[in-house]
Amino acid sequence: MEIRPRSFHARRLWVLSAAFLLLLLGPLANYYFQINWLQGWYQSLGIGNFWVVSPLEGLESILVARQLYLPALIAMLVPIVLALLLGSVFCSWICPISFFSEILDGLRRWLSGREWLQDRLLLSRRILWYALIGELLLTMILGGPIFVFVSPPGLVGRELMTLIFFHTLALEGVILLLVLGMNLITRRFYCRYFCPLGATLNLIGSRRKLVVNLDLEQCTACGLCDRRCPLGLSPASGMTTSLYCWNCGECVDVCKSQALTFQWCQRSERKQKEKNSWRDELEPPEQF
Amino acid sequence: MKRREFLKKAGATISMIAALPEISFGKGLLKSPVTTNRLRPPGAVPEEIFAGKCIRCGRCVEVCPYRSIRLLDIRAGLFTGTPIIAAEAIPCYLCMKCVLICPTGTLRKISQEQTRMGLAVVNRHRCYTWLGSTICRTCFDVCPFKGKAIILDELRPIIVNDHCTGCGICTHACPITAEDGSKAINIEPIYAQETVPWK
Repeated sequence: MEIRPRSFHARRLWVLSAAFLLLLLGPLANYYFQINWLQGWYQSLGIGNFWVVSPLEGLESILVARQLYLPALIAMLVPIVLALLLGSVFCSWICPISFFSEILDGLRRWLSGREWLQDRLLLSRRILWYALIGELLLTMILGGPIFVFVSPPGLVGRELMTLIFFHTLALEGVILLLVLGMNLITRRFYCRYFCPLGATLNLIGSRRKLVVNLDLEQCTACGLCDRRCPLGLSPASGMTTSLYCWNCGECVDVCKSQALTFQWCQRSERKQKEKNSWRDELEPPEQF
Repeated sequence: MKRREFLKKAGATISMIAALPEISFGKGLLKSPVTTNRLRPPGAVPEEIFAGKCIRCGRCVEVCPYRSIRLLDIRAGLFTGTPIIAAEAIPCYLCMKCVLICPTGTLRKISQEQTRMGLAVVNRHRCYTWLGSTICRTCFDVCPFKGKAIILDELRPIIVNDHCTGCGICTHACPITAEDGSKAINIEPIYAQETVPWK
């Protein structure tokens, strides 16, 4: 099954904007109209009786408090199932940090006219796992979850809520500026190397159904996708099936020869593909 | 020589940090912000695990129709983003909306009567009625459980520990404000210090 619409980039911008508007809508409806059925942001979102809890925050809460709470567990299922099927699409299609990054990217493109920024500092992608492990360890040592109050996607929601409810901004918004500023060094520097939530979602989505598939017979090795990938992955050498791909679809958009397509595949099918792909031997997809 | 110098400087810096007599801001980072008149919303788990269990989603703040609940900012250290009620500013009117939406069970689902945010304590050296200078029974009048949580003994207010929910409405209404901002009747969050039995 192949999925190929016009532009994933435009669609993604729409979804990101809608996700951001949802963050604005909640506090506005609560504050000005006393409409209570929509609350929270991407740490926990409540739409009526439909609750969503971010898996990493929920896990931290369970680890520290050592108490299980059924509604939280059920609410954690939604993002987990999403990540199981689609991979870490939260990061690329919903996360407000992605939204801001895209806007800033667009602004930069408009101002400077340059299509993409050079990645100045490349680190080992494994840092992402150390960030996750370190974060969980620190959480358990301190007895208070670290990520829950410095998580950038959560902070965006908190700042918006503080702005609407108390007409001020919370001090921790500096972290947001820092995270967005890191984009100047390397595109999505924080997302690539440090975001524990991204690491969790990547881990959950390691056997995702939706993958960007590379058709080697159509590939002309033009290298456009390698330059376009915001995470600095190399779709041309099959890294889209690796743990780190967040299914944003930028490479699918940019591919002129239609070699890259989103594909809904069974696991056995994918294994077969991985085996057949000769370029994987040059750069094998990393396994955790 | 260069390396040696670097090591010397690094060593000096580290020992200086270690020798500093308790960094002033470091102390407050792990200290609970819950004190007199600074209360957690209804149904809160003990302070011991509150910071760990709460995921700072802010939903309780959003549903609170009285804007009683506020979020602490990063100066609260480990307690950043946790909800707090300043009883003398805006008390809790026990609408019990927040306990229904807490996604982690940090605010347990309880009824109005079961709420124990703290215990009201009358300062008998400050209360006009207790001092005998005037007859004021504001706290009694505003108490949602008047006659149960506050009773009058010869017109002087007395708190009944078994029924006081610690909502802080009396503190908010009390006409006497001391220099430090406290009232003649204050809420002491005595239940926040409870310990959690580990299973």
